[in-house]
Amino acid sequence: MSNRLSRILTTVFVLAVVLLPIYWLVSTSLKSNREITQEGTLYPHVPTLDNYVRLFTEKQFGSYLTNSLVVTFFSVAIALIVGAMGAYAIARFRLPFAAERKVGLFLLTLRIIPPVVILIPVYLLMLSLGLLDSWLGLIATYTAFNVTFCVWMMESFFREIPVDLEEAAMVDGDSRFGAFRRITLPLAAPGLAATAIFAVLVTFNEFLFALALTATPRAMTMPRGTATLIGRIDTDWASMAAAGVIGALPIVFFALLVQRHLVRGLTMGAVK
Amino acid sequence: MQRGSQARKYRLQGAGLDLALPYLMLAPGLTIVLGVLVYPLWDGLRASTRAYRYGSPVADVGLQNYLHLWSDAQFLNALWVTVKFVALSVSFEAVLGFALALFCLHEFRGIRLLRTVLIIPMVITPVVVAIVFRLIYASDAGMLTALSKAMGGGEVQILGNPLNAFIGLVALDVWEWTPLMFLILLAGLQSLPHEPFEAARVDGAGAWRVFADLTFPMMRPVLAVAIVLRTIDAFGTFDQVFVLTRGGPGEATRLISIYGYDTAFKFQQTGYAAALFVTIGLVVLALAFSAIRLLRRVDAS
Repeated sequence: MSNRLSRILTTVFVLAVVLLPIYWLVSTSLKSNREITQEGTLYPHVPTLDNYVRLFTEKQFGSYLTNSLVVTFFSVAIALIVGAMGAYAIARFRLPFAAERKVGLFLLTLRIIPPVVILIPVYLLMLSLGLLDSWLGLIATYTAFNVTFCVWMMESFFREIPVDLEEAAMVDGDSRFGAFRRITLPLAAPGLAATAIFAVLVTFNEFLFALALTATPRAMTMPRGTATLIGRIDTDWASMAAAGVIGALPIVFFALLVQRHLVRGLTMGAVK
Repeated sequence: MQRGSQARKYRLQGAGLDLALPYLMLAPGLTIVLGVLVYPLWDGLRASTRAYRYGSPVADVGLQNYLHLWSDAQFLNALWVTVKFVALSVSFEAVLGFALALFCLHEFRGIRLLRTVLIIPMVITPVVVAIVFRLIYASDAGMLTALSKAMGGGEVQILGNPLNAFIGLVALDVWEWTPLMFLILLAGLQSLPHEPFEAARVDGAGAWRVFADLTFPMMRPVLAVAIVLRTIDAFGTFDQVFVLTRGGPGEATRLISIYGYDTAFKFQQTGYAAALFVTIGLVVLALAFSAIRLLRRVDAS
């Protein structure tokens, strides 16, 4: 009996620790600034959606959201296509000097280096190409980062698919690439989905490069726009909270929708 | 067996266009990576040996930027703060994550809800996590102050006090990333063989004996992987600090990434910042590779 009680208490405690901060964010976003600073209420006594309306009418959150969706979509889609081909080549072919294994290791090494290390030269590169504050500059950067781990993750998925199936297709007259496209790719679909989901998560949430590479609502992404807003309005807690909710909502919703596929990506393939 | 599958792979390669196929398939990805990651990496190495003024190189200074780092009190402080931050955060996350994984190993009602809820902290945009914690810590509108006032206390000062701000940052990281530890370790626990535990139960071993003699030794490799992953990641922490404290008050939470960013973009010392980042990159790579080597040895023994 006491065992069961301690189990319930622990569960409730963990849930509270995780959810209370989020409750506070949402509840603050529904209060007016006067209620927040002067009354210090524990829940919104006069709930209002004004803070949200202001984000879209006065603060260009519509543009941020569009930019985020466009940039995320293209950089993930390109990285998946390009990465799937590269991963397949590494998983299936034996090249001279074990080149395919060296390429794989090389991409993993790039993945380990903290992104902040190449922030300055990437900034200088985009500056010289005239791609600062543009979708293209962000898409190029994010695609490259995504390729490094897309290849790494998808390679392991391709390895799990028996070679015999492709051989059979080739005996039936398929080309090598045709066998890849018609047989292997569909079989690896769940793995590709897991990779895509993780890529979406990382790309949508990215802040550092968005901070350095964008400067106006023309190209600012959600995290970048949110951080700019709260930099300017130090005491406008209500707007800050609403911005936080809007900034997090799409990705949390997405993550909960696909949570079964999430774990493998989050742990860099350490967990199946 | 090994040789057989090798031969089969050669046979699969065929002739003609198929011979070039692996290269054609690797080319697009490598081109993007070389252009957007590797060229900048090399460019960064080059920049690290130069002095800059107003964003353009004015002189070659060799390794001077690298040498200067070790007499720069602000760099050394940032390094120390980073090491403290990583060590404290990752330790707490490992202990809490392990405890939680052991707790969740036995199926019970509510466990699915718990696992779902635990996904939230690590998928929320890091910038928003920082906003969440600013709203908790704020001395006027924060949750801590509101709770304290509800219980008859006064304002709670977190972000204005150096020690509290640092602890507050560690708490943020623990909140955000303990769930990841938990997921990795739970998966590890679930994949352990059942027989030794059955035997221990038959022998009447206590819970602590089972943990110390069976669970922990068998979990050591998984635990090591989880700690290495988190450590590498924590070294690059930027977003949360940038939004929560901007490195302050003073230098109390100024991690190495924040100092490097400021050096480059606020103080325009491009070459010096490049040298700083190259150094950090090398440190993290050395850390990662020695960890991999260590793990291989654990696996082998």
